[in-house]
Amino acid sequence: MSDGVFSIERAAGAWRRDALQAGTVMLMLISACFSSRASLADQQSPAPLPARKAEAEKFFREQIAPFIKSYCLECHQNSRPTEAGVNFSPALKAPGHAAFTELWKKAVARVTAHDMPPEDMEQPTDQERESFRQWLEHVKYLNPPDPGPFVIRRLTRLEYSNTLRDLFGVPRSIAADLPDEVSGEGFLNSISPMQMEQYLGIANRVLDQVWAADDRPPTGFQVGLLGDRPATALDSPAEIRAFAARFAKRAYRRPPSDQELDVLLNVFELGKQNGLGDVAATGLMIKAMLVSPQFLFITPAREVDSEQQIVPLDDYHLASRLAYFLWATMPDEKLMGLADRGDLHARATLEAQVDRMLADPRSRAIFDGFGAQWLGVTDLPTRTFDAERFPQMTAGLRRSMYEEIRLVFDVVVRQNRSLIELIEGDYTFLNADLAAIYGMEGAVDGPKLRKVRLSDANRGGLLGMPGILAATSLPTRTSPVKRGVWVLERILGEVVPSPPPDVPALENQDPQAVAGLTLRERTELHRTNAVCANCHRILDPIGFGLENFDAIGRWRDVDANGHSIDAAGELPDGTRFSSPRELKAAIASHREQFVRNFVRRLLAYALCRRLEGYDEVVVDSMMQDIAQQEYRAQAVIRAVVTSYPFTHRRVKEERDIP
Amino acid sequence: MSTSVRIDRRTCLQGVGAALALPLLDAMDWEDAAAESDFQPPIRLGFMYMPHGVIMDQFWPADAESFLSSPPPALESLRPVLDQCLVVRGISGVPIAPFNGAPHALELSTWLTATLPNPARRDEIDIAISADQIAANYIGAFTPLPSLELATMPQDWKENQEGLNEAYYSYCSYRSPTQPVPAETNPRNVLNRLFQTKDGVTPGSRAAQIDALDRSMLDVVLGGARELRRKLPAADRRKLDEYLDSVRAVERRIAAIERRQQEAALEKAGIRSRGRRGTDTPPIEIKIPEGDKRSEYMQVMCDLIVLAFQTDTTRVCTYIGSRPNGASYPELGFSDQHHSVTHHNNQAEKVRKVAAITAFNIEQFAYMINKMSNLQEGGGTLLDNCIMMWGSGLEDGNKHTRQNLPFILAGRGGGRLQTGRFLPDVRGNQGDLLTTLLLGAGIPLDRPVGIATKHIPELLREPVS
Repeated sequence: MSDGVFSIERAAGAWRRDALQAGTVMLMLISACFSSRASLADQQSPAPLPARKAEAEKFFREQIAPFIKSYCLECHQNSRPTEAGVNFSPALKAPGHAAFTELWKKAVARVTAHDMPPEDMEQPTDQERESFRQWLEHVKYLNPPDPGPFVIRRLTRLEYSNTLRDLFGVPRSIAADLPDEVSGEGFLNSISPMQMEQYLGIANRVLDQVWAADDRPPTGFQVGLLGDRPATALDSPAEIRAFAARFAKRAYRRPPSDQELDVLLNVFELGKQNGLGDVAATGLMIKAMLVSPQFLFITPAREVDSEQQIVPLDDYHLASRLAYFLWATMPDEKLMGLADRGDLHARATLEAQVDRMLADPRSRAIFDGFGAQWLGVTDLPTRTFDAERFPQMTAGLRRSMYEEIRLVFDVVVRQNRSLIELIEGDYTFLNADLAAIYGMEGAVDGPKLRKVRLSDANRGGLLGMPGILAATSLPTRTSPVKRGVWVLERILGEVVPSPPPDVPALENQDPQAVAGLTLRERTELHRTNAVCANCHRILDPIGFGLENFDAIGRWRDVDANGHSIDAAGELPDGTRFSSPRELKAAIASHREQFVRNFVRRLLAYALCRRLEGYDEVVVDSMMQDIAQQEYRAQAVIRAVVTSYPFTHRRVKEERDIP
Repeated sequence: MSTSVRIDRRTCLQGVGAALALPLLDAMDWEDAAAESDFQPPIRLGFMYMPHGVIMDQFWPADAESFLSSPPPALESLRPVLDQCLVVRGISGVPIAPFNGAPHALELSTWLTATLPNPARRDEIDIAISADQIAANYIGAFTPLPSLELATMPQDWKENQEGLNEAYYSYCSYRSPTQPVPAETNPRNVLNRLFQTKDGVTPGSRAAQIDALDRSMLDVVLGGARELRRKLPAADRRKLDEYLDSVRAVERRIAAIERRQQEAALEKAGIRSRGRRGTDTPPIEIKIPEGDKRSEYMQVMCDLIVLAFQTDTTRVCTYIGSRPNGASYPELGFSDQHHSVTHHNNQAEKVRKVAAITAFNIEQFAYMINKMSNLQEGGGTLLDNCIMMWGSGLEDGNKHTRQNLPFILAGRGGGRLQTGRFLPDVRGNQGDLLTTLLLGAGIPLDRPVGIATKHIPELLREPVS
């Protein structure tokens, strides 16, 4: 059945896609002719929007400062101890400073949820709360254009092992001993002595595999670089220097400076002095490259003029940023060639490269690096579930669940579909085990995942996928709260305030008080407690909408205790729903919000930092382009890659908080 | 089936090209050594962690008087060495506001730093150097490894609490405020790291050695990196400093290994080294278990710590016996996750499980302490020259309280610590305790650890000046 669906879809879509691609190529050629010189770097930084800035300052003066002074400052000001560590005194002096971005977001979330000010304090009117909420629309205009710094960044384990593979043809497992880590926002950009030791050990192993000493027959790798007789190819100082320059350019992802070459040749000399032959001493030089910061970190090629505050990335720097963003590996020859000619930063060139890179299989890194982290399924394959309740939840099935999400994400990105398909798509990828979870036994045979058209509108899209439903459950049961938080934060991009300390989890409720209640009724007890009610009024109803799916994503009409499922609920804005299908439709109707959240997260991942201040203005302008292109995935990726913060960096320290 | 690796004098001396720890002097040498009156065995520091707190009425001794004769159930496994333990009550943790929603993200990362993350840069790592790394900076200079960081399970729990960087969940040791130290989880890698043995590699081949040439090469690379540093903006320079520091640490380590190789060669030629001393019992045997039984796994990690101390390969070890969240204990006959049972709300079944998990963790610590107390060193035992600390980052996991963090100290620290006692009402915080232990180990401090305001003299035999 699935094969049939797949081929029909291919046949129908094929000519249209071809036509579309041909059209794109034509357009690109035309635009390349006219605009290849119109580079992003030559652009002035985006307009500072002075009118908006003045408006924001006025709004702050008239609405926000009085609000803070009346309702917040009594507890949250410069004094010790500051209540909950929240202090508005410095933010009142510099409301636009990037350091306060998070403070404002959290404050708005708490005030909007009626969580603050506390009940026993004077309460703002609903009108005042609403104006306070609107502050987030204004505060971004207070910031001057700022791409943020691009601090030299260590390669992640994934990037490091991919880079070694591309550079030497060694298996990625050679770096298996390095500690696991995530990339993107929250990325751990540090290095410890143990890691350094591991880098040296791995460099030794790489050299052992690919570099034979003078008295041994050359390896395939050496032949590729130096021909059949490496010693002959390296028999003059000029040749050795030329080789070092050639190889360091690949390893450093930019041409080495003369000084950097001198360092490498000193290593070569060191090897010679210690009795190594020319070939072995060259091996020592390669080893030196592999433990150099220029290899382990992404570094700029050009030294910057110390007078400037903001500079465009040089083309090699940009090539690395682009390659590690889309491929999680080093730039290929094509990108390096464009950087050599100084052509890469032209908008049309960048866009064409994005198209080319997305067509390459290496672009699966976008899901493994970004998608899985965004959706919170990175650890799904290794998560434990209660083996008695869910014996079918084996490592194989968890892996299939992860793959299902990856493949749908891949279709949307690679085939340039609208991102809304991630919510409302009517297809998915199943194998026999997953089909059983869907209640579609026999629809697909065997372990290989295949595309399947879905007729049940409760399924399809992320919210109906077992992997997502399981990742937002507990090992033994569903958690409407976790699912509610997941939808709000990951899909709609809302800030959910964390619970107050010392609140017992549901398992710890008094067993007598909750006997005979359904999970929904027990969860609803949140709302009888004033402290909990404000937030759970928003969170829980969303999670209830998915209660028809059990903790591993199977459909059910009654829960484990035989109570029938009540899936009615509403979104924060009051949109009502009574089934997963209606919940999906409700979210799809918030497409602007959903896509904006996706764009923000992808931009943060691409920049490897949290978004702040001025970035919101950048996102606004990106959203306009993206909306015009029907929220297509590649429109988003192109917008990120050509954005001001992706193509520029601040080289001076941030201004201080007054 | 298990692999047994015996690190002894013979292996050591016969190992061609492989730099093994210097064998320990035998009893006859010790008599000789004892004659050199100025010789003192070095003090070692060890830290072992369990998350999520304890069941308090099963952990705290009833009173000071009955401590030795009838210890509480949780400490039962320590009974044979109780006279060498010191249990202190009244040590408070770091107050975690404004991160009230992040009790578990912070219990491990504040444990040895006694410091809160910088709230303004919470999505990055910005905390403080931890007590073990302060110690490593000082006493680590004398050994091939400045410190050893171990963990029972991979540190891959990813959860965002209060916008804090996810790594706060997983890291206990920090070399600098921005530099967490990853812990090794594979015992075989630890063994290789301690003694530079490589499985399946012929002695003498390149991969078997970290050699002198590598050290000189790193030196040249360092010079180049300093050059690069000069050209970079300030934020980049700070990142590069972490790199420079790490490379220098590797260089020092290679140098220390070279020294050992020379000493071993001299000893082989019949010239006894006078520069260093070890214990006078043969090095313990390491058995790396093949299965996944938690107790066997944790015991081999404990063995590795004992071996590292015994051979003076390092003097500072930190062992994350279990990480916050995600851990379960199938060996104890139930599959519940540690974290979820700690929210027990006084239900008997869950309380029983938390108590069992706590006792299990203390048993592994007791295994290590027992072993140390049976190894002769100088006029006493290895344990006499150690300060070992076991503890948790919460008091009561049910309510996330941190008023009386559970701590067990073991070892006399070369006579500085007065053991065999329960101190029911020590008034101090986590930083005060760590400060006291570092002072006890003879480490000069230019400032107290984290939130410390003082040291706690009651722990010590004699006041520290």
